[in-house]
Amino acid sequence: MWGKGFFKGLSFTLKMLKEPKITSQYPDEPIIMPERYRGIHHFYPEKCIVCNQCVRVCPTGCISLVGKPNPDPEKKGKVIDTYDINFELCILCDLCTEVCPTESIVMTNNFELATYSRDNLAKDLKWLENNNTKVREENH
Amino acid sequence: MFNILSEPFSWINLLVIILVAAAVLGIVLVFVMYAIYFERKVIGWMQVRNGPNRVGPWGLMQTMADVFKLLIKEDIVPAKVDKFLFLIAPIIAYTPAFAIIAVIPYSQKIYFADVNVGLLYYGALSSITITGILLGGWASNNKYAIMGGMRSVAQMVSYEVPLIMSFLGVVLLTGSLNLREIVQAQQEGMWFIVPQFLGFVIFLIAGNAELNRTPFDLPEAENELVAGYFVEYSGFRFAFFMLTEYVYIFAMASLMTVMFLGGWDAPFEFLEFIPGIVWFFLKFLLLVFYLFWVRATFPRVRTDQLMGFAWKVLIPLALLNVMLTALFKTLF
Repeated sequence: MWGKGFFKGLSFTLKMLKEPKITSQYPDEPIIMPERYRGIHHFYPEKCIVCNQCVRVCPTGCISLVGKPNPDPEKKGKVIDTYDINFELCILCDLCTEVCPTESIVMTNNFELATYSRDNLAKDLKWLENNNTKVREENH
Repeated sequence: MFNILSEPFSWINLLVIILVAAAVLGIVLVFVMYAIYFERKVIGWMQVRNGPNRVGPWGLMQTMADVFKLLIKEDIVPAKVDKFLFLIAPIIAYTPAFAIIAVIPYSQKIYFADVNVGLLYYGALSSITITGILLGGWASNNKYAIMGGMRSVAQMVSYEVPLIMSFLGVVLLTGSLNLREIVQAQQEGMWFIVPQFLGFVIFLIAGNAELNRTPFDLPEAENELVAGYFVEYSGFRFAFFMLTEYVYIFAMASLMTVMFLGGWDAPFEFLEFIPGIVWFFLKFLLLVFYLFWVRATFPRVRTDQLMGFAWKVLIPLALLNVMLTALFKTLF
């Protein structure tokens, strides 16, 4: 019968009214990221040996660090004094965590980092040490 | 309250008339606001997504936010347009839409103008909007606008013919062009949707085309013609054209309820205690929902098929409807 398609179409859209909605309600329900998602970093200052590899490998040059000689006169080596990641430049590429020999710089799953001012985007040692939720398990 | 028009003129009467008109304008604007909101919600739900739900509780303030945005925008009048026509076109498009609402009887006691040629008034005024659209397209000094304007005028004029002809069956059965008498005739007999089913279907299709809505929305095809005849309008002038479309939905749907679905008549005897205006409103909402439903379902008609459909299919069917009604009326 000519016109049967019209009624099929209309009844289909009418049935669709009662289907559960497929949009994810983002701000109300959190997004669960996969296990190995590369978000902002987490830093363990006690593990860092100031080898400078993360600074060398970073493609955008956003990491800058300063080390100081070990305050304990018995031990050799340096400890970390300041460690800054300029988050305006960081592309979350994961190369610094891959190259770190002691796994002192690792990534977390935190990605909700929008701010109203650029001052908040300079992540220093304190902030990175405190950012210890949802840390990635595998880092190499 | 409404025989104020037959009293002698006095300034108080004029003030009352102006206030009532302003009140009706207010009601129509509230309707438009929530018609836009419900259209977005219904179409969203049919597409398995939520409509607007962030601005205000359940998104109810969405249209207000949109209208506010449109009103505070810069009023851009391009340099080379025909200034007078550009400024006048939205007004010419909108005014008939609002003027039509005066003749429709909403219930037994609520009606504004009991005009003996109500139907003719309706058909005549809805043609003036076409002029406004053509002016808007022409005055914009823009190829896309004039193409959109021409397409729109061709479409609206050709679908106006089956629209008016589908009324004729109802007029034959009633014997009058007066809208109140048409409703009263339906109260005594059956609602005209039953004997005039073909006329109803033609009205639904032709009305959809008159309103420039999907599936006949070639003139404002968002992805084809870059918004067609109102491409150069921004801010509140654009809001005027949008308002015209939705006020026309109001006018067309209320005309359909008056002519085919019995106006304020209750469907069954035992439901008479519910006031007539509520029945009018419910039937009206059903038709408006149908318009949104069609928009969510059908793809756009092709340019070459559009005019052929009006002239070769709808007009012969409407003529057939009129002839069958006339035959029926003479034989019985």
